[in-house]
Amino acid sequence: MPAGLELTTLVEAALGDDAAALEDARRVVRHAVGGAGLVDAAAAIASFNAVVKIADGTGIPIEDWKAERTSDLRASLGIDDYRA
Amino acid sequence: MTRGSSVSTTIAVDGEDVPIRRSLAAAIEDAWRRLARPGTWWSGSERLAIAAETRAAGQCRLCRERQAALSPYAVSGVHDAATDLPADAVEAIHRIRTDAGRITERFVREIADGPLGEERYVEIVAVVAITTALDTFDGVLGRPRRPLPAPQAGEPTRHRPAGARRDLAWVATLAPDMVSAGDPNPYPLHGDKNIHRAVSLVPQEVFNFFDLDVELYLKDHEIRDFGTEYRAITHAQIELIAGRASALNRCFY
Repeated sequence: MPAGLELTTLVEAALGDDAAALEDARRVVRHAVGGAGLVDAAAAIASFNAVVKIADGTGIPIEDWKAERTSDLRASLGIDDYRA
Repeated sequence: MTRGSSVSTTIAVDGEDVPIRRSLAAAIEDAWRRLARPGTWWSGSERLAIAAETRAAGQCRLCRERQAALSPYAVSGVHDAATDLPADAVEAIHRIRTDAGRITERFVREIADGPLGEERYVEIVAVVAITTALDTFDGVLGRPRRPLPAPQAGEPTRHRPAGARRDLAWVATLAPDMVSAGDPNPYPLHGDKNIHRAVSLVPQEVFNFFDLDVELYLKDHEIRDFGTEYRAITHAQIELIAGRASALNRCFY
């Protein structure tokens, strides 16, 4: 995926606590996807750092149709062995 | 492949102006304004106290020790609170902000069924999430954290939807077919998937969160419209970000 490594590095830096790493990741992503792309990447990170609070704070379950679609994948990863 | 239209303005990043969608910039400003307004169960000043407490949680020693522990219940102590909010509100705010992935049904029920009440707890969830989104956006871009706005006067509406039931999540939610005439109804605008129902016990908070979130992420109908790119990065790049952020946050949803 174009800029995949750069974007995942940005996410990890954004959710970490190393300011220098975040600054470096931001510069690399901006070079890779442009300024508007960097802003939209920051927006997506903000969204998924927030919506988890909504989901986990209320215990909302995943929809049945989503669970069915991902059942093979979850089984192969062993995710179903975990419980909240 | 088509590209969605996006009229832009600019935002300062690392000393330079970079493009930002006007709709995103407007949603961010609106979200800050709404934090300062009286909510459904908390006043404007109380909502801002929740936002301040959300920020303080990041520096809380007890929260850090709990995050490092095998179980958050293995560590007792007192939060480094920044406000005079009730202790159960502070506990909820700090846990949601710093360790949401290990929140349990028992934890939610004990707080929601206690003196704080279910409705106030749900509004806390939304305010913490919105504050987190706004601060994360600025933080990723290296922008300074904004001072919280001045609170707006007024009383909470204290409207609980009559049709709300505890039949889906750990808190009561309002099913789309249970919305009454007097209830704010966010479902026609934002969709009615489970995540939209999560804080629907306080319907205005569904608007408050998702009016912002659809600009940060995508509108419900845009998520699987792979024939159009609505952002300056692709659907695939957005979902890569979503997957990594969710994994790091240990999101069960």
